[in-house]
Amino acid sequence: MEAKELKKILAAYDTKLDKKLSLNVASFKNISLDKSEKNTQTILKYRIIEIVALSVFALFMGNYITSNWNQSHLAISGIIVGVFTLIALSGSIGQVVLLQQIDFAKPIVDIRKKIELVNSHGLLFLKLMFLSTPIWWSYIVVGSDSLFNIDLYSHMDADFVIKYLMVNSLLIIPLVWFLNKLTYKNLHTTWVRKTIGLFTGSKTMKALEFLKDIEEFER
Amino acid sequence: MKKIDEHKKIIYKIVNSYCPNREDRKDLEQEIIIHLWNSFDSYDDTYKYATWMYRIALNVAISFYRKEKKRPTKNDFSNEESIFRIEEETNEKETELDYYLKLLQGFIHNLNELNKALMLLYLEEKSYEEISEILGITKTNVATKISRIKLKLKNEFQNI
Repeated sequence: MEAKELKKILAAYDTKLDKKLSLNVASFKNISLDKSEKNTQTILKYRIIEIVALSVFALFMGNYITSNWNQSHLAISGIIVGVFTLIALSGSIGQVVLLQQIDFAKPIVDIRKKIELVNSHGLLFLKLMFLSTPIWWSYIVVGSDSLFNIDLYSHMDADFVIKYLMVNSLLIIPLVWFLNKLTYKNLHTTWVRKTIGLFTGSKTMKALEFLKDIEEFER
Repeated sequence: MKKIDEHKKIIYKIVNSYCPNREDRKDLEQEIIIHLWNSFDSYDDTYKYATWMYRIALNVAISFYRKEKKRPTKNDFSNEESIFRIEEETNEKETELDYYLKLLQGFIHNLNELNKALMLLYLEEKSYEEISEILGITKTNVATKISRIKLKLKNEFQNI
């Protein structure tokens, strides 16, 4: 079909709409105008709850580190858990900033990107979970000390601690490579797709797929 | 209301392109109007009214399209009439133009969300500059994408 023929079809359609399309005033007046942006408001509410919870936890960790400053193993474990909490907190603050920037009167591609980045928030937690793998003992040490007042480190065999540190430091490089792969840019790779899909669910997956579509659209 | 009435064709075409389901169409019409109404105070007159309206209507339509489909669950609007009414004449014969129009609408339905927006704007004879302002991509990119879609359209219609 040539452009000329296409225009002919559309001109005929426009004429038809001019003649037959009308505004239903009664329905228009019945619209409830305060129904909008419900979805964005719900996400915002969840992110604010997340920020409050993570801030409380970060304050708790700050207090924990200060109180155990003289016991280096507890202070180091506390610092590690604290750093992860701060990363999660900054991710949630970033989400609120993105949500505040969503204005449907702005260019479509820019707004879609922001919306899908909000929808793919689950990926940050997945990455933090994997990133915690080499230092998972920090969580156990802090948890058992804070909840049950048991210092697990003092019961650990020195040999185990050395082996643990060695094995887990070796894990860091492959882990960084693995985490770098976990982005929407690599969704064409089966294992990346399956890993993200398995741990984050369909909403995050859909958002990441759309981010990939947006990137291709911008090219 | 006057502004909505003046631009009703735009909303009608966007709604029809993004929603194959009749009940969904009623919801989308209402969502677009609610967003337009609530955003009117922040309308930036450095842009044309139509540009502003297209951005809002397309953004709402894409969000609506991407939401999890909840049908056949009944929603708040299911018993209300559509905001835009089109007179259908039962004895009207389908012309060749109607036939091609249906094919064209089918073609648009099959495009992804962003290409659908691009195609709608192109068919509305918007300039490349205006399309790039609405979508937020460069004019060169608009031109390249339109020529690709036109070629695809040509091939599609040749196979009939």
